[in-house]
Amino acid sequence: MDENSSARLKRQLLGIVHRIGLFLAMLTICLPGLWIVLSSLRPTVEIMAKPPVWIPQEISFDAYIAMFSGIGKGGIPVIEYFRNSLIISVTSTIIAVAIGMAGGYAFARYRFRGKSSVFLGLMLTRTVPGIALSLPLFFLYVRLGIIDTHFGLIIAYVALNVPFTIWLIDGFFRQVPKDLAEAAQIDGCTRWQAFWQVEFPLAGPGIASAAIFAFLTCWNEFALASQLTRSVSAKTLPVGLLDYTAEFTIDWRGMCALAVVMIIPALTLTYIVQKHLVGGLTSGAVKG
Amino acid sequence: MKGFKPSAPFLLLLPAFIVLAAVVVVPLLLSLYSSFTPFRLTKPETFFVFVGFRNYLSILANSDFWWAFGRTVLLLTIALNLEMLLGLGLAMLVEKATRGQRILRTLMMFPMMFSPILVGFQFKFMFNDNIGLVNNALQSLGIAQDAIAWLIEGHLAFIAISVAEIWSSTAIFAILILAGLLAMPKEPIEAARVDGCTPWQTFRYVTWPFIMPFAYIAMTIRSLDVARAYDIVKIMTDGGPAGRTELLWTLVARTAYSDGRMGMANAMAYFSILLSIAFTVYFFNKLAAARTQIGAEW
Repeated sequence: MDENSSARLKRQLLGIVHRIGLFLAMLTICLPGLWIVLSSLRPTVEIMAKPPVWIPQEISFDAYIAMFSGIGKGGIPVIEYFRNSLIISVTSTIIAVAIGMAGGYAFARYRFRGKSSVFLGLMLTRTVPGIALSLPLFFLYVRLGIIDTHFGLIIAYVALNVPFTIWLIDGFFRQVPKDLAEAAQIDGCTRWQAFWQVEFPLAGPGIASAAIFAFLTCWNEFALASQLTRSVSAKTLPVGLLDYTAEFTIDWRGMCALAVVMIIPALTLTYIVQKHLVGGLTSGAVKG
Repeated sequence: MKGFKPSAPFLLLLPAFIVLAAVVVVPLLLSLYSSFTPFRLTKPETFFVFVGFRNYLSILANSDFWWAFGRTVLLLTIALNLEMLLGLGLAMLVEKATRGQRILRTLMMFPMMFSPILVGFQFKFMFNDNIGLVNNALQSLGIAQDAIAWLIEGHLAFIAISVAEIWSSTAIFAILILAGLLAMPKEPIEAARVDGCTPWQTFRYVTWPFIMPFAYIAMTIRSLDVARAYDIVKIMTDGGPAGRTELLWTLVARTAYSDGRMGMANAMAYFSILLSIAFTVYFFNKLAAARTQIGAEW
């Protein structure tokens, strides 16, 4: 009896410790983001107050209104940046996924010489740091006259995304049993038809999450965009964020508001794909 | 090319090869060439002057460069190790949770959604000496009397950057390790317990080998974009104070775009590329080894 109750006590204690640990971890993860959201809704006076004001006295959407009301009213051209970001990200995602599907299919379904080295080689192109890549691209783009254009950034992002899209899509095609496509071929489908009617629908959700992942990479990219774009005609949101930093002052509230605008699409999309993403990356880690 | 019939995988991979060749390989060859010239943006004619290894020699003799290099390696070592440990801890905490796992997992992925530039901005805001959350909290709780100049003092700035880096990337380790833990069969653990293993032994010899491939996947993914620290540093301190947080990547950017010395910057860029490649190849090999160990097809 005594042993029982001490064991129960120990278990309860461990449970409490576990819960506290979990709570602290989640707090650390969420606090910075929540702080940004909160700050974007507070008047600048409150952000700057000394001693700090912990409980917001008033909540206003002024920062968001100012942001979307154009350059004249102290905002930055957020709408243009948003449009640029959207055009560039969507276009390069579509192209990258198309290329990635072809490549991923090749890795998942065919055996060929040097498969592992080709895969590694593809990955290595992705390791080149954006800033190192931006040097020759900057020079080339100036020569070709595509600096500060959507086109220039789009092809750069396609190249950035292709290796990772191939990795993910390869994983998703591996999860689709080979036999299904073979059965379809025996029933008279061509390989092409078998792909589109059997394998593609099955790998569909995975491919969609690869697409979203590619989209997010473009949406968030800064190192290349900051050097390859110059003006409102091609600047993306991450580059636009720096517009709030003047020589000596920073418009904290405005920056917070823009940060929230940037994070909302990312948040929504990641939430949708989280399950598939992990599945795609780890497929082959446990079973072949 | 007579009688040459390209195989299917080759044709399927061709578009990827073409794009990567055009946007990555050829530009990199160009930058390799220009690293042997004294090329300056302001003087285009210098592009055709060949100076051999002069840029590389002057980099090797440049103490600023070596400091930046050492700092980069230090940051990566600290960050990757802590991310691994914290990610493992976080994954195990979440795995143990009996209720609300789905919401916990979503919360856990939260930092992944932040672009590095936002992470940098967010921590710049929090570590601000005057209005930042960290100093405000410390002062309100009476731990510190005066404002701590987080981003102005060299060592503290380095710590602040590491915190930002770790905050943003621990999630990658955590979700992948969690995936490993969830995919793991329960019988070996029970068998180990029956055989009288301590919890530590169970973890060390049963759980850990199983989740290792997952940890290496996370490492490989991380090493694919170790350079995202550039964005964080760029916005948090921009290499300051007085170059105390200058990393390889910010140094490259400064040399190229502020000083306009493209040739020199390209030579430096090659060091940073080699560093990234070394990281990736190392973890990729580990990953392949771990995969063969548990008998997965590669």
